[in-house]
Amino acid sequence: MGSSFGGINTALTSLYAQRRALDVTGQNIANANTDGYTRQRVDMQSQVGSISPALYAKTDGLGTGVAVSDVQRLRDEYAENRGRTEHANSAYLTNQTQTYAAIEDTFAEPSDTALQAQLHDMWGTWNDVANNPQLTATRSTLLQQSSTVADGLNSAHDQLASQFSQTHTQLAAYAEEVNTAAATIAQLNGSIVKATASGVTVNELEDQRDAAVMHLSELTGATASLRKNGAMDVFVGNSTLVSEFTTRNLEVSGAVRLDDQATDPMTLRWADTKTSVGAGGTMGAMADTMTTIIPGLSDALDSVAKNLADSVNAKHAAGYGVDGSTGNDFFVSGVPGQPITAGTIKVGITDPDQVAVSSTDPTVIVPPATAGSLDNTVADALADIGDSATGPDREYQAMIGQLGVASQAVSRRNDIQTNVTQQVDAAREAQSGVNLDEEMTNLLTYQRGYEAASRVLTTIDSMLDQLINRTGLVGR
Amino acid sequence: MAVIGRVTESSIHTRVLQNLQRNIAKGEKIQEQLSSGKMINRPSDSPTGTVTSMQLRGETRAAQQYSRNADDGLGWLNTAQDTLSSASTLVNRARDLTVQGLSSGTNDAQSNEALASELDQIKSSLIGYANTKYLDRPVFGGTTTGDLAYDATGTFVGNAGQTTRTVGAGAKIRVDANGPEAFGSGSTQLFTVLQNISDNIRSGDTDALADNLNKLDAASNQMKTTLSNVGARYNRIEGMKQSAQDRLLSVTSQLSDVEDVDLPKTIMDMQLQQTSYQAALAASAKVIQPSLIDFLR
Repeated sequence: MGSSFGGINTALTSLYAQRRALDVTGQNIANANTDGYTRQRVDMQSQVGSISPALYAKTDGLGTGVAVSDVQRLRDEYAENRGRTEHANSAYLTNQTQTYAAIEDTFAEPSDTALQAQLHDMWGTWNDVANNPQLTATRSTLLQQSSTVADGLNSAHDQLASQFSQTHTQLAAYAEEVNTAAATIAQLNGSIVKATASGVTVNELEDQRDAAVMHLSELTGATASLRKNGAMDVFVGNSTLVSEFTTRNLEVSGAVRLDDQATDPMTLRWADTKTSVGAGGTMGAMADTMTTIIPGLSDALDSVAKNLADSVNAKHAAGYGVDGSTGNDFFVSGVPGQPITAGTIKVGITDPDQVAVSSTDPTVIVPPATAGSLDNTVADALADIGDSATGPDREYQAMIGQLGVASQAVSRRNDIQTNVTQQVDAAREAQSGVNLDEEMTNLLTYQRGYEAASRVLTTIDSMLDQLINRTGLVGR
Repeated sequence: MAVIGRVTESSIHTRVLQNLQRNIAKGEKIQEQLSSGKMINRPSDSPTGTVTSMQLRGETRAAQQYSRNADDGLGWLNTAQDTLSSASTLVNRARDLTVQGLSSGTNDAQSNEALASELDQIKSSLIGYANTKYLDRPVFGGTTTGDLAYDATGTFVGNAGQTTRTVGAGAKIRVDANGPEAFGSGSTQLFTVLQNISDNIRSGDTDALADNLNKLDAASNQMKTTLSNVGARYNRIEGMKQSAQDRLLSVTSQLSDVEDVDLPKTIMDMQLQQTSYQAALAASAKVIQPSLIDFLR
């Protein structure tokens, strides 16, 4: 038979448990709109007395109340892992879409003023020169128009180069951010492992850690796995970034400028082993931008510039200028000793009289003629380059077409990925988010529980009152 | 633990926001198209459309250039044509004078001298015609860099170079008439013949004069042949110019088809988008509002 006062204790455990549950519900409601907050639930367990009977201490089989065995964090680790992967993909594609949009803005095609229009104007001016090879004015115009084309190529190259440098600066800053976040996670691991070992619930710390890991996933495509002791390991491209309480660092090495990329490629690597990091997410996209997209476009642009210079120079060098000069290159490299690229191309002719227009030398006089012959065949042939199937115009158009296709593909994939990510987020939110209706219901339940436990206490109290104060008063 | 189909306020919030975002992003694209008037604002809007648009712009430029080249060519040919028809009139007058010198063999020296000096005048006028310039270049001088096609004595000082204009894709048409083609060469060269006739009249050599009259006819025929040749080329260039202008019109409308927005369709799209956006807003305002709190008193 249990103690007379056992029931009071039972009611008391219930009061404690219901209050704890009300507190947790209050915490859930308070954080209904907190980003990354995971709803918590109180796990109650009925208590039993000693189940190993001894001579003077044996149980009557009745329970001795209730205890809060755990405050559970209702988060699905699989959904979280899926979320990390999708967020990493989404971050990668978003960054690529932005990169392509910036590159498209650089070229600003199709328009009446961009490089293609400048090329058209230049071929038109060659035609004007062919119409009136003797006029200095049209030849001067031609030199200006051709300089505009060269400047257009230079500035397109410069913008690609500056995009490269900007990306580099940003990537280096992100590498620092990753290192800091990794250190934070290691620190949180330490706190969580210690707290878990001593039986304290650290749900809020775990929320913080999940947020930090999600941030890392978006930046680097990181994945994570939980250890039994509560620590979380973080991996980037199959290598460990955070292992329990220790971290490794990322660093950016190699080319800072686009022009150095070919000789000393930019790499995102581990600071300790100097091996490259197979990153995804925003940083993976940036690394791809710097190693593939920008160099690829820059090479294509260089090829257009070289095609322009080669096709014009071949015809130009064979012709004669008004002053009889011949063998001159029309386009040259602005940097002596370097090949002609989009960055270096410039007009090599400064004197309009040296512009080769004629197939015959106008300074050579063949009697009986009293003056030389100046035809327009060279200028005419040069004007025709604009329509050539292998000319720079076609090559440039193909390049812009490819840029458009690549940009469109990435942008479509990004649209799809955004949808997937949002679906996964909604699913995660459904799992771990706070539902106010549910919390209100819990509030009611626990309140009623608390009231009922109080009533039990009152009942026992009045029962004891009956026993102590009103029993054995016969004949008084 | 897993509650299937659990819905929370923030998952509704996320979904509603996502749908509204998608809706408004569509609106933004339509607004961009409407305000710029272009379907294609960047290559990724339509890669093939972009390349087509760039090529059509090239064709527009080419058609404009062909038309401009044709104008220039017409200027050359017009000059040559006018000059040759005026010259032809003068050559007819010279023939009249020659016949006059031939038929009145008994003319006195004074009237012969008058005939001869008029012929000399005609000759120098014709040399003046032969040196006609278009935009500072002698039309009959080939590709000479000099000012003259013929010197004062009527000797050709130009060259046989030809001037062409590109008036269509691969269509290069000659726009000059070379001196020897228009005014003859060798013994039937117009100026030599005229000089000989004038000399014959002064010396009264009627046999040589009759011979030279034939040569004058030959030179005159040569000039007329060239004149009709020039006229034919003039027509050809005019035809090409017309086709370049027609091409310009059709290319411009093709470019507009590729690039420009279909206004009625886009405005309809915008209306639809606005309606669905407003409906979505109204619906989400209703969905989120009520909660259990409203009913617990």
